[in-house]
Amino acid sequence: MEKPFILHMLTTAKNLSPFDVNMALDAGWLTALPYINVEASEVQGLVQDAIFSRSTKNLKRTGIFIGGRDTKQAMDMLKTAKHSMVPPFEVSVFADPSGAFTTAAGMVAAVERELLTKFNTTLEGKNILALGGTGPVGQAAAVIAAQAGANVMIIGRQLEKAQAIADLCSNEFGDGKITVTAGADADKAEYIKTADVVFATGAAGIELLSAELIASAPQLKVAADVNAVPPAGIAGVDAFHNGTPIAGSISGAVGIGALAIGNVKYQAQNSLLKKMLNTEKPVYLHFEHAFEVARDYLKANAS
Amino acid sequence: MEKRSILHMLDPMPHNSPFDINMAMDAGFEVLMPYSNVKLDSVYALTQDAIFSRSPAGVKRTGIFIGGRDFALAMDMLDASRQAMVPPFEVSVFADPSGAFTTAAALVACVEKELLSHHGKKLEECTALVFGGTGPVGIATGVIASLAGAKTTLVDHLSAETAQEVAKAYNRRFGSTLDGNCARNDAEKAELVADTDIIFCTAKAGIQVISGTVLKAAKQLKVAGDVNAVPPLGIEGIKRNDRGVPLLLAENAQGAVGVGSLAIGNVKYQLQNTMLNLMLTTDKPLYMDFRQAFINAREIA
Repeated sequence: MEKPFILHMLTTAKNLSPFDVNMALDAGWLTALPYINVEASEVQGLVQDAIFSRSTKNLKRTGIFIGGRDTKQAMDMLKTAKHSMVPPFEVSVFADPSGAFTTAAGMVAAVERELLTKFNTTLEGKNILALGGTGPVGQAAAVIAAQAGANVMIIGRQLEKAQAIADLCSNEFGDGKITVTAGADADKAEYIKTADVVFATGAAGIELLSAELIASAPQLKVAADVNAVPPAGIAGVDAFHNGTPIAGSISGAVGIGALAIGNVKYQAQNSLLKKMLNTEKPVYLHFEHAFEVARDYLKANAS
Repeated sequence: MEKRSILHMLDPMPHNSPFDINMAMDAGFEVLMPYSNVKLDSVYALTQDAIFSRSPAGVKRTGIFIGGRDFALAMDMLDASRQAMVPPFEVSVFADPSGAFTTAAALVACVEKELLSHHGKKLEECTALVFGGTGPVGIATGVIASLAGAKTTLVDHLSAETAQEVAKAYNRRFGSTLDGNCARNDAEKAELVADTDIIFCTAKAGIQVISGTVLKAAKQLKVAGDVNAVPPLGIEGIKRNDRGVPLLLAENAQGAVGVGSLAIGNVKYQLQNTMLNLMLTTDKPLYMDFRQAFINAREIA
């Protein structure tokens, strides 16, 4: 008899995200068990406990999900989990802290599609401002876009903090192969003049880009906002926009709102959770894999 | 419609063990509910909460599993749970902290089997050392081996006093006759190993406790068993799948054989599966600890 699918869900927070639990069960995991308040030092023990109780065949029906709120912590836990495997006793692990990896992947993939369909170009060499970019979604989006060839600047209210995050993105998440830069929010009127793309990933309910600044952006092509709670993070881009022209843009820029991004995010997370179920060899999934499947989804569904 | 089977998994630690969760699902429980950070004084109420929401006919479909890291605490929780039953409202309870009871039972049963087949000896006729003897698997191994008649010593890696205190406490409670000692380096290990019949290695995963040099000192070693599956393994020269394979590094002990972690793990796995399954098929409630585990382990090994 085939053994049931079990997903062990680890989070450093005091609760799992019900979003992730629903997603896991809907993707086909029969049962999802929560482990809360997990500390980095506990990961190895939990992983080795999980891998030694099933045959290698049934380990394919076992997985580990890493949630939490912190990007670096989740990536470190993913690395620890990977190193804790004792081949052939090995299971797949998927890190998606706060859903940030799949959200960022959904946003960047949607932006890439608009660049292609509306402007016949790619992310390569584009100037991107990641507004409110110091949070988990901003970080992951910055890295994904930079890996696709864009020049990404993380904008924060405190330049020092933004710089620290940009360094983390370049060196830690980008493995030193990308360079993400930093800028202060106070200077964004200057930066917007050369921006091709804007990501708005700040806290809900804060306007990060005003109508005035949009009107002063001569080469803006796409503006994406993950915030679904009014007021919108980007003036003129609402949650339902999906490649919709932004009123007042002198360069014909289009907007992508939270629901359009959310749809791609949903597909990406679903697809990675399913990949863990179906893979022959264990996989270790994070923002890069999320971007691959988000791109695939949009390509397969190009209208 | 038959109600779904539910296992309430009580654990005094911050996390339930993923190992036990996999095992419980695989044994056929349909729904697992983790309860972590459970205190001993909550067990009574949790148990009564669990028994009164289903009819007595639902007994087979409901169970309580007690995990954790601590032998004595798990036994206390098992007792508390048992005392909370109000027949006919009663469910089965199975204590296996860190899998220590089933691992220890499997280890002792495997070693006992090789002892008989390779040396024609019984546990009653032998002396045994338990390295890593003050950890959960070590204590359970010691208590089981001692109750089965072996003259058993728990060996701590730091303090003889600790080992003796642990031995005394468990002797008092379970009627075993354990002794305690310590071995902090190869010389001290060699001295202990020189005249033992059995070595149980239950120390932390990924640590070699008994090297080839120490094994050389053994003069009457018959069987050595190691539960560590993470390299480096606990006893040099015993491979994970070994089951009664000559332990050549013990060159001064005629006919010594080794049992490796996966061979033991295989018995442990079947054992835990069997015991979880018993909870689902029994007509009257079962209360299972290391003693029941050893009875079943002997049948499986």
